[in-house]
Amino acid sequence: MSRELSKESMGFLHQLKLYLMSDGKNEHEIEGIIEELSDHLQMAESQGKSVHHIIGQSPKEYMAQIAAEMNYDKKAWIKFIVTIIFGVFSYTILSRSVEGNLSFSLINAAGLTAIVAFLIWAVFFMFKYIAANNPSKAKEYLLFFLFSLVSFALFIALILIDQRVESPTISFNGPGTIIISIITFAFLLWISIWSKTWTVLIFLSFLIVPDIVLKQTSMDINTQISLSTTITLGGIAVYLFVVNKKNKAT
Amino acid sequence: MSTTQMLKGIIDGCILAIIHEKEIYGYELAEKLEQYGFDSFSEGTIYPLLMRMQKEELVTSTLKKSTAGPKRKYYSLTSKGEQELRQFIKRWKLLQSSVNSVLKGEENE
Repeated sequence: MSRELSKESMGFLHQLKLYLMSDGKNEHEIEGIIEELSDHLQMAESQGKSVHHIIGQSPKEYMAQIAAEMNYDKKAWIKFIVTIIFGVFSYTILSRSVEGNLSFSLINAAGLTAIVAFLIWAVFFMFKYIAANNPSKAKEYLLFFLFSLVSFALFIALILIDQRVESPTISFNGPGTIIISIITFAFLLWISIWSKTWTVLIFLSFLIVPDIVLKQTSMDINTQISLSTTITLGGIAVYLFVVNKKNKAT
Repeated sequence: MSTTQMLKGIIDGCILAIIHEKEIYGYELAEKLEQYGFDSFSEGTIYPLLMRMQKEELVTSTLKKSTAGPKRKYYSLTSKGEQELRQFIKRWKLLQSSVNSVLKGEENE
């Protein structure tokens, strides 16, 4: 009995899922309520009732009512945030160790952690806003654009501050850099196996492999830098495009 | 005061009473409420209420395969829920008779 749900009901269920997920609710509980509501909506629609008969006039209010009764998944949250912060550090460590000896200033480490924590918060806030208010596509894109602009600006600001302000710095010599790189790589590999996606490693190879390969050529440094950046961004864009298409197909 | 506001609290008791009759799943419960005349509120309201009652251990739920296909969550009362229902019935009877006497006095004047 897989009666088709109306577009409106499907839309609402998607919205609710996004809302609850960006609110950090327990994934198991989210699946539970979505299943229950989807069953309810199917039966109601087969008897000619509309979504509004079920959820009332304000989806936003209804979503908030449900969210209020659900538990936060603290453990999953902490795991998630720690993994992301470590992941960002791994990227930074590996891409820098390719360039030579690794060094990290206090400002750099603290700034990176703060920026990533802020950006995670911003992403969740943004998704929750979108789920609750269902803005137009144009507004949604504007939001994503602003988000990328702000994150870009924050990273640039960090680099500039780091260059101008002295702070305690940890530096590694050649062998040290290699050991740290191997540990970091093992960590990323572990994350990939644990999360069963290769996205992290694919991004990483787009980031680092062009650098390594181009260094072996006799191209001049400016051509090398612009070519490597183009390959990195282009590669990631193509990868996202392919994944997106695959997801839509299934 | 709107009907919805008056209903708060009362609807909890009614849900307990309906679940007490037999194990029931969400849609069935919403339909029953509607049949009994509670049609001024949206059906989905029962889910946040059920979630809260579950947290307060008044009801429990089990997943059962329905004849038609998808697994369904069936709700039943716990002993704490039964106790709460008895309390509700007592409170309601008292409230009902008080309100009735007030209104009777009002009509006779």
